Amino acid sequence: MNHTVSRDRRIALVFLLPAVVILFVTTIYPMLYALWLSFRSYDLSKPFIPRVFVGVANYVEVLSSQAFLHALLTTFKLMAMTLSVQVVLGVGIALLVTQKLPGMAVVRTLLLIPMMISPVIVGLVWLFLYFPELGYLNYFLSLVGIGPVAWITSTGWALTAIAIADIWQWTPFFMMGTAAALQSLSPEPYEAARIDGNSRFDVFRYITLPQLKPVIISLLFLRAIDAFKIYDIIFVLTKGGPADATEVISLYIYRQSFTFWRMGVGAAASFVSLIIITILITFFFKSLQRSQAALAR
Amino acid sequence: MSSVTLRNVVKRYGQLEVVHGINLEIDEGAFVVLLGPSGCGKTTTLRMVAGLESISDGQLEIASRVVNDVAPKDRQIAMVFQNYALYPHMTVRQNMEFALKPQKLADGEVDRRITEASRILGLEPLLARKPAQLSGGQRQRVAMARAMVRTPKVFLFDEPLSNLDAKLRTQVRLEIAKLHKRLGTTVLYVTHDQIEAMTLADKIVIMKDGHIEQVGSPEEVFASPKNLFVATFIGSPSMNLFQMTVEQAELGLLLTSQPFSVPVPSPLLSKLSPGRQVTLGVRPSDIRIAAKGEPGSFEARVDVVEYLGIEALLNLRIGSQEFIAQVAAAERPVPDQDVSVFFNPAGLHFFDSQSGQAL
Repeated sequence: MNHTVSRDRRIALVFLLPAVVILFVTTIYPMLYALWLSFRSYDLSKPFIPRVFVGVANYVEVLSSQAFLHALLTTFKLMAMTLSVQVVLGVGIALLVTQKLPGMAVVRTLLLIPMMISPVIVGLVWLFLYFPELGYLNYFLSLVGIGPVAWITSTGWALTAIAIADIWQWTPFFMMGTAAALQSLSPEPYEAARIDGNSRFDVFRYITLPQLKPVIISLLFLRAIDAFKIYDIIFVLTKGGPADATEVISLYIYRQSFTFWRMGVGAAASFVSLIIITILITFFFKSLQRSQAALAR
Repeated sequence: MSSVTLRNVVKRYGQLEVVHGINLEIDEGAFVVLLGPSGCGKTTTLRMVAGLESISDGQLEIASRVVNDVAPKDRQIAMVFQNYALYPHMTVRQNMEFALKPQKLADGEVDRRITEASRILGLEPLLARKPAQLSGGQRQRVAMARAMVRTPKVFLFDEPLSNLDAKLRTQVRLEIAKLHKRLGTTVLYVTHDQIEAMTLADKIVIMKDGHIEQVGSPEEVFASPKNLFVATFIGSPSMNLFQMTVEQAELGLLLTSQPFSVPVPSPLLSKLSPGRQVTLGVRPSDIRIAAKGEPGSFEARVDVVEYLGIEALLNLRIGSQEFIAQVAAAERPVPDQDVSVFFNPAGLHFFDSQSGQAL
């Protein structure tokens, strides 16, 4: 009996091993290495100089650096711009595409396309659209007498331009999640409201929206994590510029590590952003739990 | 209070017609039950009255006003749904308030109506709770209160008890009856449960396949079913049916089904001629155990005895014909015994075997 149990356990371990190895090599080891590195001075341009222990100096540098705080602020600005518009647009479009009208299934599928494109490609597509002289966007704006707008080359517009590209790509995510939630709502309360004569706005405000709230918060939660890590679109469109107008946290880390070769500072910045994102997640979880409890109670 | 009239009301979904020109008069203050099996069109009919489904053809009047194209909110109706249709994130009080919102009443009036409805339905201690914190019966009472606060002219109930367990069903049924007695509002009530229909209705409308089969008081539909469908649908256990042939005997016409026969009652003599196929219907409660050799009794074999406390159901057999009798539990025989049974002559129903219509 004992023999069989230990044999089963051994087989289970053998099956688990590949996953554990991959996880260790690709995630756990790099993370531990980065943590180790964040307490050391390591110049990648001089790789043979020993990595000296510097205590929390890297962390102090990151937290007291104007550039990091600016990147953090830019990240949050971009998150606020994109997430707020994505929620409103996503819910609005979801309300439209869940109407029982012919062709809505096709429209819904078409609207999902941006989400399926790789962010680098999205960046390239928008690069063409934003291009100062040859871009379509300025061409169309010129037809109505506007512009030209220096979309990605002016500090005033660059962050907005990135936000627009991100909104274009990720609004379908909110649309899809909200549409699924809308379709799972029971139709009877709506019929009851129809008989009672409640206005469409009241029905949306007091019946639909409160029931969608947990779903919207979940979607926001998933998107917020992603938005905090935004990298590819910005790298393709502006590389963090002009000046540092679009330098978000991930670009700051990239610049420290692979432009200035200061791996220790880059690693410390990564851990600071990890802590921030953890706080963010905790906050979202709390509010999600609250809104779900409000529905259940 | 208000009357409801349906004139040749038809419902079609594309090519498919599901309600075929029904006519129905619901008097002011009456409690009318639409009764029928699943898919008979009863809920569709109710939803047409509510305005949740359009009327394909015909005319619907509420309080002598044609309302075919009137929005649900302007029909002065209130509806109670099968799964309560409460707003899950609102408290009991908010549910009622939201129903009243479009009427733009003064706060005092809203409070008065909610207090009144909660008192009648015993919801006062529950006003601050949300639907998820209530039992099924309580939720259904909230749904009724929400309908009540609007003081509608007609109450529509769509299978309001079918999500409740048997005990609660009896309890809420009684509450609905009391509520109707108290308010006197016209009620149109849909159910597939004949006990609900029999206990609540002033008038039962029995539907099948989008047609009305019979309209009548509970007594009428039980005692004088117009056809085989109504006869077997109403009554539990359902009516026993025997296929009989009219035969000429020495003393007059007989309905025969080997090995037993019954004389054709005099009112039917002129309608029947030898050779005609007739279905004889006898309710289990119209069959009793007779003394051996009692005139008009037959021998039957007891297959199974189902003891129900006060009474017992006997599964009997004459030849290959099986039927059920409902007798006092104290008089029940033991299984596998031969007994004499007697059909109460006043409880015999005769139907044309081909058309299924009562003779």
